[in-house]
Amino acid sequence: MKTPLSRHLVRYAFLALAVFLVCYPLVWMTTMAFKPYSEWTTVGSGLSWMPRKPTLQNFEFLFYGRAEGLYVTLDKTIFQPFWASLVTSTVGTLIAVVSGTLASYAVVRFKVGASLPLQVLQLRLFPPLAVMIPVMVMWAFLGAVDTWWGLSLMYGIVTLPFAFWLMKTFFDEVPIEIEEAARVDGCSHWRVFWRITLPIVRPGLATCALFVFILNWSDYLLALLLTQKIWVTLPVYMATLTSAMGGQMYGMKAALGLIAAVPPVIFGLVIQKHLVRGLTFGALKQ
Amino acid sequence: MPNNNHSNHTGAPEAVGYWSQVGSSPERLGFWMTLPTVLLLLFIVVFPAIMQVYLSITMWSPLDGTPWYLAYQNFDFPGQYWRALLDEELWNALGRTLLIMVVTIPIQFALGMGLATLFVDEFPGKKVFYSILLTPMMIVPAVTGLIFYLCFQSTGPINNHLGLPVSFSWLTDTDRAMITIMVADIWQWTPLMFLILLAGMLSVPNDQILAARLLGASEVQIFRRIVLPRMKSVIIIVLALRTVESFKIFDSISVMTKGGPGVQTETISYYIYRLTFGDFEWGYVAAIGLSILIGLTVLAVQLLKLGAKPDSNK
Repeated sequence: MKTPLSRHLVRYAFLALAVFLVCYPLVWMTTMAFKPYSEWTTVGSGLSWMPRKPTLQNFEFLFYGRAEGLYVTLDKTIFQPFWASLVTSTVGTLIAVVSGTLASYAVVRFKVGASLPLQVLQLRLFPPLAVMIPVMVMWAFLGAVDTWWGLSLMYGIVTLPFAFWLMKTFFDEVPIEIEEAARVDGCSHWRVFWRITLPIVRPGLATCALFVFILNWSDYLLALLLTQKIWVTLPVYMATLTSAMGGQMYGMKAALGLIAAVPPVIFGLVIQKHLVRGLTFGALKQ
Repeated sequence: MPNNNHSNHTGAPEAVGYWSQVGSSPERLGFWMTLPTVLLLLFIVVFPAIMQVYLSITMWSPLDGTPWYLAYQNFDFPGQYWRALLDEELWNALGRTLLIMVVTIPIQFALGMGLATLFVDEFPGKKVFYSILLTPMMIVPAVTGLIFYLCFQSTGPINNHLGLPVSFSWLTDTDRAMITIMVADIWQWTPLMFLILLAGMLSVPNDQILAARLLGASEVQIFRRIVLPRMKSVIIIVLALRTVESFKIFDSISVMTKGGPGVQTETISYYIYRLTFGDFEWGYVAAIGLSILIGLTVLAVQLLKLGAKPDSNK
Protein backbone atom coordinates (compact mmCIF):
# COMPACT_ATOMS: atom_id res chain seq x y z
CA MET A 1 0.00 0.00 0.00
CA LYS A 2 2.75 2.40 0.93
CA THR A 3 5.40 3.26 -1.57
CA PRO A 4 8.31 4.32 0.58
CA LEU A 5 10.68 5.23 -2.24
CA SER A 6 8.40 7.66 -4.03
CA ARG A 7 7.36 9.14 -0.70
CA HIS A 8 10.97 9.71 0.21
CA LEU A 9 11.65 11.30 -3.15
CA VAL A 10 8.75 13.72 -2.77
CA ARG A 11 9.90 14.54 0.74
CA TYR A 12 13.47 15.22 -0.31
CA ALA A 13 12.29 17.36 -3.21
CA PHE A 14 10.31 19.56 -0.83
CA LEU A 15 13.14 19.63 1.69
CA ALA A 16 15.64 20.63 -0.96
CA LEU A 17 13.41 23.52 -1.94
CA ALA A 18 12.98 24.58 1.70
CA VAL A 19 16.71 24.38 2.39
CA PHE A 20 17.37 26.42 -0.74
CA LEU A 21 14.95 29.15 0.38
CA VAL A 22 16.41 29.20 3.88
CA CYS A 23 20.02 29.31 2.72
CA TYR A 24 19.72 31.69 -0.23
CA PRO A 25 19.67 34.93 1.81
CA LEU A 26 22.00 33.56 4.48
CA VAL A 27 24.64 32.52 1.98
CA TRP A 28 24.36 35.85 0.20
CA MET A 29 25.14 37.75 3.40
CA THR A 30 27.89 35.37 4.45
CA THR A 31 29.79 35.50 1.18
CA MET A 32 29.17 39.23 0.85
CA ALA A 33 31.13 39.69 4.06
CA PHE A 34 34.21 38.33 2.27
CA LYS A 35 33.77 40.19 -0.99
CA PRO A 36 35.84 43.19 -2.02
CA TYR A 37 34.17 46.45 -3.01
CA SER A 38 34.10 45.64 -6.72
CA GLU A 39 31.92 42.57 -6.16
CA TRP A 40 29.28 44.09 -3.87
CA THR A 41 26.82 44.68 -6.68
CA THR A 42 25.96 42.74 -9.79
CA VAL A 43 26.59 45.77 -11.94
CA GLY A 44 29.52 45.37 -14.27
CA SER A 45 31.08 42.26 -12.82
CA GLY A 46 27.89 40.23 -12.88
CA LEU A 47 26.70 38.03 -10.06
CA SER A 48 28.71 35.39 -8.30
CA TRP A 49 27.86 33.51 -5.16
CA MET A 50 31.40 32.97 -4.02
CA PRO A 51 33.77 35.91 -3.75
CA ARG A 52 36.14 35.87 -6.71
CA LYS A 53 38.86 37.57 -4.73
CA PRO A 54 38.08 36.72 -1.09
CA THR A 55 39.16 39.42 1.31
CA LEU A 56 39.07 40.21 5.01
CA GLN A 57 38.99 43.89 4.20
CA ASN A 58 35.41 44.29 5.49
CA PHE A 59 36.27 42.86 8.89
CA GLU A 60 39.48 44.86 8.96
CA PHE A 61 37.43 47.98 8.39
CA LEU A 62 35.12 47.17 11.29
CA PHE A 63 37.99 46.37 13.64
CA TYR A 64 40.39 49.21 12.81
CA GLY A 65 38.06 51.84 11.40
CA ARG A 66 39.88 51.86 8.08
CA ALA A 67 41.11 49.40 5.53
CA GLU A 68 43.63 49.41 2.76
CA GLY A 69 42.35 50.80 -0.48
CA LEU A 70 39.33 52.45 1.09
CA TYR A 71 39.12 56.20 1.30
CA VAL A 72 36.41 56.23 4.00
CA THR A 73 37.06 55.77 7.70
CA LEU A 74 34.88 54.78 10.59
CA ASP A 75 34.76 56.90 13.73
CA LYS A 76 33.55 54.05 15.91
CA THR A 77 34.85 50.52 15.60
CA ILE A 78 32.93 47.37 16.37
CA PHE A 79 34.49 46.72 19.79
CA GLN A 80 32.38 49.03 21.94
CA PRO A 81 29.03 47.92 20.42
CA PHE A 82 30.07 44.29 20.76
CA TRP A 83 31.02 44.88 24.38
CA ALA A 84 27.75 46.74 24.96
CA SER A 85 25.72 43.87 23.51
CA LEU A 86 27.63 41.34 25.56
CA VAL A 87 27.37 43.22 28.87
CA THR A 88 23.73 44.26 28.61
CA SER A 89 22.57 40.86 27.34
CA THR A 90 24.47 39.05 30.09
CA VAL A 91 23.36 41.27 32.95
CA GLY A 92 19.80 41.33 31.60
CA THR A 93 19.86 37.54 31.47
CA LEU A 94 21.10 37.38 35.06
CA ILE A 95 18.31 39.67 36.29
CA ALA A 96 15.61 37.73 34.44
CA VAL A 97 16.88 34.25 35.31
CA VAL A 98 17.58 34.94 38.99
CA SER A 99 14.26 36.65 39.71
CA GLY A 100 12.33 34.29 37.45
CA THR A 101 13.86 31.19 39.02
CA LEU A 102 13.23 32.29 42.61
CA ALA A 103 9.68 33.42 41.93
CA SER A 104 8.64 30.41 39.87
CA TYR A 105 9.93 28.03 42.54
CA ALA A 106 7.96 29.87 45.19
CA VAL A 107 4.84 29.77 43.04
CA VAL A 108 5.23 26.08 42.26
CA ARG A 109 6.12 24.87 45.77
CA PHE A 110 4.75 27.34 48.26
CA LYS A 111 1.57 28.27 46.38
CA VAL A 112 2.20 31.95 46.90
CA GLY A 113 1.36 34.62 44.33
CA ALA A 114 -1.35 32.74 42.48
CA SER A 115 -1.91 35.61 40.06
CA LEU A 116 1.79 36.17 39.45
CA PRO A 117 2.18 33.92 36.38
CA LEU A 118 -0.47 35.79 34.39
CA GLN A 119 0.73 39.18 35.56
CA VAL A 120 4.22 38.33 34.40
CA LEU A 121 2.91 37.08 31.06
CA GLN A 122 1.13 40.38 30.52
CA LEU A 123 4.53 42.00 30.01
CA ARG A 124 4.76 40.29 26.63
CA LEU A 125 1.37 41.30 25.30
CA PHE A 126 1.86 44.95 24.48
CA PRO A 127 3.97 46.47 21.73
CA PRO A 128 6.92 48.08 23.55
CA LEU A 129 6.47 51.30 21.62
CA ALA A 130 2.96 51.78 23.00
CA VAL A 131 4.25 51.90 26.57
CA MET A 132 7.70 53.38 26.12
CA ILE A 133 6.98 57.07 26.74
CA PRO A 134 6.75 56.78 30.54
CA VAL A 135 9.65 54.35 30.54
CA MET A 136 11.85 56.79 28.68
CA VAL A 137 10.83 59.64 30.99
CA MET A 138 11.58 57.44 33.97
CA TRP A 139 14.91 56.27 32.57
CA ALA A 140 15.89 59.88 31.92
CA PHE A 141 14.86 60.80 35.47
CA LEU A 142 16.96 57.97 36.93
CA GLY A 143 19.91 58.84 34.72
CA ALA A 144 19.64 55.37 33.21
CA VAL A 145 19.60 56.39 29.57
CA ASP A 146 22.70 55.22 27.71
CA THR A 147 24.06 53.28 30.67
CA TRP A 148 24.83 49.58 30.79
CA TRP A 149 22.61 49.05 33.82
CA GLY A 150 19.66 50.96 32.40
CA LEU A 151 19.47 48.80 29.30
CA SER A 152 20.25 45.63 31.28
CA LEU A 153 17.42 46.36 33.69
CA MET A 154 15.00 46.78 30.78
CA TYR A 155 16.24 43.53 29.23
CA GLY A 156 15.79 41.77 32.55
CA ILE A 157 12.20 42.98 32.76
CA VAL A 158 11.09 42.14 29.22
CA THR A 159 12.59 38.65 29.28
CA LEU A 160 11.40 37.88 32.81
CA PRO A 161 8.18 36.24 31.50
CA PHE A 162 10.18 33.72 29.49
CA ALA A 163 12.53 32.96 32.38
CA PHE A 164 9.68 32.66 34.84
CA TRP A 165 7.52 30.35 32.74
CA LEU A 166 10.40 28.24 31.50
CA MET A 167 11.77 27.64 35.00
CA LYS A 168 8.24 26.95 36.23
CA THR A 169 7.93 24.02 33.83
CA PHE A 170 11.28 22.65 34.98
CA PHE A 171 10.32 22.91 38.66
CA ASP A 172 6.96 21.30 37.92
CA GLU A 173 8.85 18.22 36.78
CA VAL A 174 10.86 17.78 39.98
CA PRO A 175 9.12 15.08 42.03
CA ILE A 176 8.00 16.50 45.35
CA GLU A 177 9.02 13.25 47.09
CA ILE A 178 12.69 14.15 46.75
CA GLU A 179 12.16 17.45 48.49
CA GLU A 180 10.03 15.87 51.17
CA ALA A 181 12.74 13.33 51.89
CA ALA A 182 15.22 16.14 52.39
CA ARG A 183 12.77 17.94 54.65
CA VAL A 184 12.46 14.85 56.79
CA ASP A 185 16.24 14.77 57.03
CA GLY A 186 16.07 18.23 58.54
CA CYS A 187 16.75 20.63 55.71
CA SER A 188 15.15 24.06 55.80
CA HIS A 189 12.97 25.05 52.88
CA TRP A 190 15.71 27.32 51.53
CA ARG A 191 18.32 24.59 51.81
CA VAL A 192 16.04 22.15 50.03
CA PHE A 193 15.73 24.63 47.18
CA TRP A 194 19.41 25.57 47.11
CA ARG A 195 21.00 22.19 47.71
CA ILE A 196 18.49 19.71 46.28
CA THR A 197 16.15 21.20 43.73
CA LEU A 198 18.40 23.72 42.05
CA PRO A 199 21.11 21.14 41.23
CA ILE A 200 18.42 18.88 39.80
CA VAL A 201 17.15 21.58 37.42
CA ARG A 202 20.65 22.78 36.52
CA PRO A 203 20.32 21.70 32.86
CA GLY A 204 17.01 23.55 32.72
CA LEU A 205 18.63 26.59 34.26
CA ALA A 206 21.36 26.56 31.62
CA THR A 207 18.76 26.21 28.86
CA CYS A 208 16.77 29.06 30.30
CA ALA A 209 19.83 31.31 30.54
CA LEU A 210 20.84 30.64 26.93
CA PHE A 211 17.29 31.14 25.71
CA VAL A 212 16.95 34.47 27.50
CA PHE A 213 20.40 35.51 26.32
CA ILE A 214 19.36 34.91 22.71
CA LEU A 215 16.31 37.10 23.21
CA ASN A 216 18.34 39.91 24.76
CA TRP A 217 21.05 39.69 22.15
CA SER A 218 18.40 39.86 19.41
CA ASP A 219 16.87 43.06 20.71
CA TYR A 220 17.00 46.13 18.51
CA LEU A 221 14.14 48.37 19.55
CA LEU A 222 14.92 48.79 23.25
CA ALA A 223 18.56 49.60 22.59
CA LEU A 224 17.42 52.08 19.97
CA LEU A 225 15.19 53.82 22.51
CA LEU A 226 17.34 53.64 25.62
CA THR A 227 20.88 54.22 24.35
CA GLN A 228 22.44 57.09 22.49
CA LYS A 229 26.19 56.75 22.02
CA ILE A 230 28.26 54.73 24.42
CA TRP A 231 26.07 51.70 25.01
CA VAL A 232 24.66 51.34 21.51
CA THR A 233 24.41 47.60 20.85
CA LEU A 234 25.43 45.66 17.75
CA PRO A 235 22.07 45.68 15.89
CA VAL A 236 21.63 49.43 16.39
CA TYR A 237 25.24 50.05 15.42
CA MET A 238 24.64 47.99 12.30
CA ALA A 239 21.55 49.99 11.36
CA THR A 240 23.36 53.31 11.77
CA LEU A 241 26.47 52.26 9.90
CA THR A 242 25.29 53.46 6.50
CA SER A 243 24.29 56.93 7.49
CA ALA A 244 27.51 57.40 9.41
CA MET A 245 29.55 56.79 6.31
CA GLY A 246 27.27 58.28 3.70
CA GLY A 247 27.52 55.26 1.44
CA GLN A 248 26.01 51.83 1.01
CA MET A 249 28.76 49.78 2.63
CA TYR A 250 27.24 46.40 1.83
CA GLY A 251 30.35 44.38 2.60
CA MET A 252 30.92 45.90 6.03
CA LYS A 253 27.28 45.61 6.95
CA ALA A 254 27.26 41.99 5.91
CA ALA A 255 30.38 41.32 7.98
CA LEU A 256 28.75 43.00 10.95
CA GLY A 257 25.49 41.12 10.44
CA LEU A 258 27.43 37.89 10.34
CA ILE A 259 29.18 38.67 13.64
CA ALA A 260 25.89 39.61 15.30
CA ALA A 261 24.08 36.56 13.95
CA VAL A 262 26.54 33.86 14.98
CA PRO A 263 26.12 33.68 18.81
CA PRO A 264 22.33 33.15 18.82
CA VAL A 265 22.55 30.54 16.06
CA ILE A 266 25.10 28.54 18.06
CA PHE A 267 23.19 28.88 21.33
CA GLY A 268 20.00 28.00 19.50
CA LEU A 269 21.53 24.75 18.28
CA VAL A 270 22.67 23.95 21.82
CA ILE A 271 19.20 24.33 23.31
CA GLN A 272 17.28 23.07 20.28
CA LYS A 273 15.59 20.38 22.33
CA HIS A 274 13.93 22.93 24.60
CA LEU A 275 13.04 25.61 22.08
CA VAL A 276 9.37 24.64 21.90
CA ARG A 277 9.03 24.81 25.65
CA GLY A 278 10.71 28.21 25.79
CA LEU A 279 8.81 29.78 22.94
CA THR A 280 5.40 28.65 24.12
CA PHE A 281 6.05 29.68 27.73
CA GLY A 282 6.07 26.04 28.71
CA ALA A 283 2.59 25.37 27.33
CA LEU A 284 4.05 22.72 25.06
CA LYS A 285 6.96 20.34 25.44
CA GLN A 286 8.94 18.45 22.90
CA MET B 1 6.59 9.74 54.96
CA PRO B 2 5.97 13.40 54.33
CA ASN B 3 4.52 13.73 57.78
CA ASN B 4 6.45 16.72 59.07
CA ASN B 5 7.20 18.76 56.01
CA HIS B 6 5.28 21.71 57.36
CA SER B 7 6.96 21.89 60.72
CA ASN B 8 8.55 25.24 61.35
CA HIS B 9 11.74 24.06 62.97
CA THR B 10 14.12 21.89 61.15
CA GLY B 11 16.29 20.94 64.06
CA ALA B 12 19.37 20.94 61.91
CA PRO B 13 22.11 22.23 64.19
CA GLU B 14 24.05 24.12 61.54
CA ALA B 15 20.98 25.83 60.15
CA VAL B 16 21.08 28.80 62.48
CA GLY B 17 21.15 32.42 61.40
CA TYR B 18 19.35 34.70 59.03
CA TRP B 19 18.71 32.29 56.20
CA SER B 20 17.30 29.62 58.44
CA GLN B 21 14.91 32.23 59.78
CA VAL B 22 13.90 33.28 56.28
CA GLY B 23 13.32 29.69 55.32
CA SER B 24 11.51 28.80 58.49
CA SER B 25 8.04 29.06 57.01
CA PRO B 26 7.12 28.41 53.41
CA GLU B 27 4.97 31.54 53.26
CA ARG B 28 7.75 33.79 54.46
CA LEU B 29 10.34 32.22 52.17
CA GLY B 30 7.84 32.42 49.33
CA PHE B 31 7.46 36.11 49.98
CA TRP B 32 11.19 36.73 49.79
CA MET B 33 11.61 34.56 46.73
CA THR B 34 8.90 36.31 44.76
CA LEU B 35 10.03 39.73 45.92
CA PRO B 36 12.47 40.53 43.06
CA THR B 37 9.86 39.66 40.45
CA VAL B 38 7.12 41.56 42.25
CA LEU B 39 9.38 44.60 42.59
CA LEU B 40 10.31 44.50 38.91
CA LEU B 41 6.62 44.24 38.00
CA LEU B 42 5.62 47.11 40.26
CA PHE B 43 8.52 49.17 38.96
CA ILE B 44 7.58 48.71 35.31
CA VAL B 45 3.79 48.68 35.66
CA VAL B 46 2.47 50.91 38.41
CA PHE B 47 4.36 54.16 38.04
CA PRO B 48 4.60 54.09 34.22
CA ALA B 49 0.88 53.32 34.00
CA ILE B 50 0.01 56.35 36.11
CA MET B 51 2.39 58.50 34.11
CA GLN B 52 1.01 57.26 30.82
CA VAL B 53 -2.56 58.14 31.80
CA TYR B 54 -1.35 61.51 33.07
CA LEU B 55 0.67 62.41 29.97
CA SER B 56 -2.06 61.21 27.63
CA ILE B 57 -4.36 64.01 28.78
CA THR B 58 -1.79 66.70 28.01
CA MET B 59 -0.04 68.09 24.97
CA TRP B 60 3.32 67.63 26.64
CA SER B 61 6.51 67.32 24.63
CA PRO B 62 10.03 66.89 26.01
CA LEU B 63 11.01 69.86 23.86
CA ASP B 64 8.62 72.13 25.78
CA GLY B 65 11.29 72.86 28.32
CA THR B 66 8.96 71.89 31.17
CA PRO B 67 9.54 68.67 33.11
CA TRP B 68 6.97 65.93 32.70
CA TYR B 69 5.26 66.54 36.06
CA LEU B 70 4.35 70.06 34.96
CA ALA B 71 2.66 68.64 31.90
CA TYR B 72 -0.75 69.60 33.36
CA GLN B 73 -0.04 73.15 32.25
CA ASN B 74 -0.79 71.91 28.76
CA PHE B 75 -3.88 70.03 29.85
CA ASP B 76 -5.93 68.85 26.92
CA PHE B 77 -8.21 66.03 27.86
CA PRO B 78 -10.26 64.66 25.11
CA GLY B 79 -8.06 66.49 22.64
CA GLN B 80 -5.38 63.86 22.13
CA TYR B 81 -7.92 61.06 21.98
CA TRP B 82 -10.04 62.90 19.46
CA ARG B 83 -6.94 63.52 17.48
CA ALA B 84 -6.10 59.81 17.50
CA LEU B 85 -9.61 58.95 16.43
CA LEU B 86 -9.40 61.30 13.46
CA ASP B 87 -5.75 60.63 12.65
CA GLU B 88 -5.78 59.15 9.18
CA GLU B 89 -2.08 58.26 9.32
CA LEU B 90 -2.66 56.27 12.48
CA TRP B 91 -5.49 54.25 10.96
CA ASN B 92 -3.50 53.69 7.79
CA ALA B 93 -0.56 52.43 9.85
CA LEU B 94 -2.91 50.14 11.76
CA GLY B 95 -4.33 48.93 8.46
CA ARG B 96 -0.86 48.15 7.13
CA THR B 97 0.01 46.28 10.32
CA LEU B 98 -3.14 44.19 9.98
CA LEU B 99 -2.40 43.62 6.30
CA ILE B 100 1.03 42.25 7.17
CA MET B 101 -0.53 39.98 9.79
CA VAL B 102 -3.32 38.77 7.51
CA VAL B 103 -0.90 37.93 4.71
CA THR B 104 2.11 36.55 6.58
CA ILE B 105 0.52 34.52 9.37
CA PRO B 106 -1.59 32.23 7.14
CA ILE B 107 1.37 31.70 4.79
CA GLN B 108 3.68 30.93 7.71
CA PHE B 109 1.05 28.60 9.11
CA ALA B 110 0.52 26.74 5.86
CA LEU B 111 4.24 26.40 5.16
CA GLY B 112 4.95 25.41 8.76
CA MET B 113 2.22 22.80 8.71
CA GLY B 114 3.41 21.45 5.38
CA LEU B 115 6.99 21.17 6.59
CA ALA B 116 5.87 19.56 9.83
CA THR B 117 4.09 16.76 7.97
CA LEU B 118 7.40 15.94 6.26
CA PHE B 119 9.05 15.39 9.64
CA VAL B 120 6.56 13.12 11.34
CA ASP B 121 8.28 9.84 10.52
CA GLU B 122 11.97 8.98 10.46
CA PHE B 123 14.16 9.41 7.41
CA PRO B 124 17.90 9.71 6.81
CA GLY B 125 19.25 13.18 7.48
CA LYS B 126 16.24 14.26 9.53
CA LYS B 127 18.26 15.97 12.24
CA VAL B 128 20.38 17.95 9.80
CA PHE B 129 17.39 19.17 7.83
CA TYR B 130 15.62 20.05 11.06
CA SER B 131 18.51 22.17 12.28
CA ILE B 132 18.94 23.94 8.96
CA LEU B 133 15.26 24.76 8.68
CA LEU B 134 15.20 26.27 12.17
CA THR B 135 18.09 28.66 11.50
CA PRO B 136 16.13 31.73 10.29
CA MET B 137 14.33 31.89 13.63
CA MET B 138 17.67 32.30 15.43
CA ILE B 139 18.83 35.20 13.30
CA VAL B 140 18.62 38.58 15.04
CA PRO B 141 15.53 40.24 13.47
CA ALA B 142 17.47 43.39 12.64
CA VAL B 143 20.03 41.22 10.84
CA THR B 144 17.21 39.53 8.94
CA GLY B 145 16.23 43.01 7.85
CA LEU B 146 19.79 43.60 6.71
CA ILE B 147 19.96 40.27 4.86
CA PHE B 148 16.86 41.04 2.84
CA TYR B 149 17.97 44.63 2.41
CA LEU B 150 21.04 43.22 0.68
CA CYS B 151 19.10 40.66 -1.35
CA PHE B 152 16.43 43.08 -2.55
CA GLN B 153 18.84 45.76 -3.73
CA SER B 154 18.14 46.48 -7.36
CA THR B 155 21.77 45.49 -7.96
CA GLY B 156 21.35 42.42 -5.76
CA PRO B 157 20.96 38.72 -6.42
CA ILE B 158 17.17 38.56 -6.65
CA ASN B 159 16.91 40.95 -9.57
CA ASN B 160 19.81 39.18 -11.20
CA HIS B 161 18.29 35.72 -10.82
CA LEU B 162 14.85 36.83 -11.93
CA GLY B 163 16.39 38.55 -14.92
CA LEU B 164 15.07 41.95 -13.90
CA PRO B 165 16.85 45.14 -14.91
CA VAL B 166 18.69 47.29 -12.36
CA SER B 167 15.98 49.92 -12.80
CA PHE B 168 13.49 47.50 -11.22
CA SER B 169 13.58 48.41 -7.54
CA TRP B 170 11.98 46.66 -4.59
CA LEU B 171 12.73 48.58 -1.43
CA THR B 172 12.03 52.03 -2.81
CA ASP B 173 8.99 51.11 -4.87
CA THR B 174 5.58 52.14 -3.53
CA ASP B 175 3.92 48.83 -4.33
CA ARG B 176 6.73 46.37 -3.86
CA ALA B 177 8.34 47.64 -0.64
CA MET B 178 5.62 45.96 1.42
CA ILE B 179 6.31 42.66 -0.34
CA THR B 180 9.94 42.73 0.79
CA ILE B 181 8.85 43.28 4.41
CA MET B 182 6.45 40.37 4.20
CA VAL B 183 8.99 38.08 2.55
CA ALA B 184 11.49 38.81 5.32
CA ASP B 185 8.85 38.16 7.98
CA ILE B 186 7.73 34.90 6.39
CA TRP B 187 11.33 33.74 6.02
CA GLN B 188 12.10 34.49 9.64
CA TRP B 189 9.02 33.11 11.36
CA THR B 190 7.89 30.11 9.29
CA PRO B 191 10.45 28.02 11.24
CA LEU B 192 8.72 28.94 14.49
CA MET B 193 5.38 27.72 13.14
CA PHE B 194 7.09 24.59 11.86
CA LEU B 195 8.84 23.90 15.17
CA ILE B 196 5.76 24.26 17.33
CA LEU B 197 3.32 22.59 14.95
CA LEU B 198 5.68 19.63 14.59
CA ALA B 199 5.85 19.26 18.37
CA GLY B 200 2.06 19.28 18.44
CA MET B 201 1.82 16.79 15.60
CA LEU B 202 4.22 14.39 17.30
CA SER B 203 2.14 14.45 20.45
CA VAL B 204 -0.79 12.85 18.63
CA PRO B 205 -0.88 9.18 19.72
CA ASN B 206 0.51 7.01 16.98
CA ASP B 207 -1.71 3.98 17.65
CA GLN B 208 -4.84 5.88 16.66
CA ILE B 209 -3.29 6.84 13.36
CA LEU B 210 -2.18 3.25 12.74
CA ALA B 211 -5.62 1.94 13.61
CA ALA B 212 -7.28 4.39 11.24
CA ARG B 213 -4.84 3.44 8.52
CA LEU B 214 -5.59 -0.25 9.02
CA LEU B 215 -9.28 0.49 8.72
CA GLY B 216 -8.58 2.02 5.35
CA ALA B 217 -8.66 5.72 6.07
CA SER B 218 -6.76 7.85 3.60
CA GLU B 219 -3.90 10.08 4.74
CA VAL B 220 -6.02 13.17 4.15
CA GLN B 221 -8.83 11.72 6.25
CA ILE B 222 -6.42 10.79 9.03
CA PHE B 223 -5.03 14.29 9.02
CA ARG B 224 -8.44 15.98 9.05
CA ARG B 225 -10.24 13.67 11.45
CA ILE B 226 -7.53 12.61 13.92
CA VAL B 227 -4.45 14.83 13.75
CA LEU B 228 -6.05 18.22 13.27
CA PRO B 229 -8.61 18.03 16.11
CA ARG B 230 -5.91 16.93 18.51
CA MET B 231 -3.68 19.80 17.49
CA LYS B 232 -6.35 22.38 18.21
CA SER B 233 -4.76 23.83 21.35
CA VAL B 234 -1.30 23.86 19.76
CA ILE B 235 -2.70 25.70 16.75
CA ILE B 236 -4.37 28.24 19.01
CA ILE B 237 -1.12 28.77 20.94
CA VAL B 238 1.02 29.22 17.86
CA LEU B 239 -1.43 31.56 16.16
CA ALA B 240 -1.80 33.62 19.34
CA LEU B 241 1.98 33.87 19.68
CA ARG B 242 2.48 35.00 16.12
CA THR B 243 -0.44 37.43 16.27
CA VAL B 244 0.92 39.13 19.37
CA GLU B 245 4.48 39.31 18.04
CA SER B 246 3.48 40.23 14.50
CA PHE B 247 1.52 43.23 15.74
CA LYS B 248 4.78 44.58 17.19
CA ILE B 249 6.68 44.36 13.89
CA PHE B 250 9.38 47.03 13.81
CA ASP B 251 12.99 45.83 13.57
CA SER B 252 13.06 44.59 10.00
CA ILE B 253 11.14 47.63 8.76
CA SER B 254 13.48 49.99 10.54
CA VAL B 255 16.47 48.38 8.85
CA MET B 256 14.98 47.74 5.41
CA THR B 257 12.75 50.65 4.47
CA LYS B 258 12.43 52.97 7.48
CA GLY B 259 8.70 52.98 6.84
CA GLY B 260 9.18 54.21 3.32
CA PRO B 261 8.97 54.95 0.55
CA GLY B 262 6.84 57.74 1.93
CA VAL B 263 4.76 55.90 4.50
CA GLN B 264 4.16 52.80 2.39
CA THR B 265 5.59 50.35 4.95
CA GLU B 266 4.83 52.33 8.08
CA THR B 267 3.27 50.02 10.67
CA ILE B 268 1.71 51.04 13.95
CA SER B 269 5.02 50.63 15.81
CA TYR B 270 6.93 52.57 13.20
CA TYR B 271 4.37 55.37 13.17
CA ILE B 272 4.64 55.70 16.94
CA TYR B 273 8.42 55.69 16.62
CA ARG B 274 8.24 58.52 14.09
CA LEU B 275 5.92 60.53 16.34
CA THR B 276 8.21 59.93 19.31
CA PHE B 277 11.53 60.87 17.76
CA GLY B 278 10.50 62.82 14.69
CA ASP B 279 7.82 65.08 16.13
CA PHE B 280 8.42 64.56 19.86
CA GLU B 281 4.68 64.66 20.58
CA TRP B 282 4.94 62.51 23.67
CA GLY B 283 1.55 63.44 25.09
CA TYR B 284 -0.10 62.29 21.90
CA VAL B 285 2.02 59.13 21.77
CA ALA B 286 0.97 58.33 25.34
CA ALA B 287 -2.68 58.65 24.30
CA ILE B 288 -2.20 56.38 21.29
CA GLY B 289 -0.27 53.88 23.39
CA LEU B 290 -2.95 53.81 26.05
CA SER B 291 -5.68 53.29 23.44
CA ILE B 292 -3.73 50.37 21.98
CA LEU B 293 -3.23 48.96 25.47
CA ILE B 294 -6.93 49.08 26.23
CA GLY B 295 -7.86 47.70 22.83
CA LEU B 296 -5.46 44.77 23.12
CA THR B 297 -6.55 43.97 26.67
CA VAL B 298 -10.23 43.87 25.69
CA LEU B 299 -9.34 41.70 22.70
CA ALA B 300 -7.18 39.35 24.79
CA VAL B 301 -9.91 38.92 27.42
CA GLN B 302 -12.49 38.15 24.74
CA LEU B 303 -10.17 35.62 23.11
CA LEU B 304 -9.38 34.00 26.45
CA LYS B 305 -13.12 33.58 27.06
CA LEU B 306 -13.47 32.08 23.61
CA GLY B 307 -10.45 29.85 24.12
CA ALA B 308 -11.68 28.65 27.50
CA LYS B 309 -14.70 26.94 25.94
CA PRO B 310 -13.05 24.25 23.80
CA ASP B 311 -10.66 23.50 26.64
CA SER B 312 -13.40 22.80 29.17
CA ASN B 313 -14.84 19.83 27.32
CA LYS B 314 -11.45 18.31 26.67
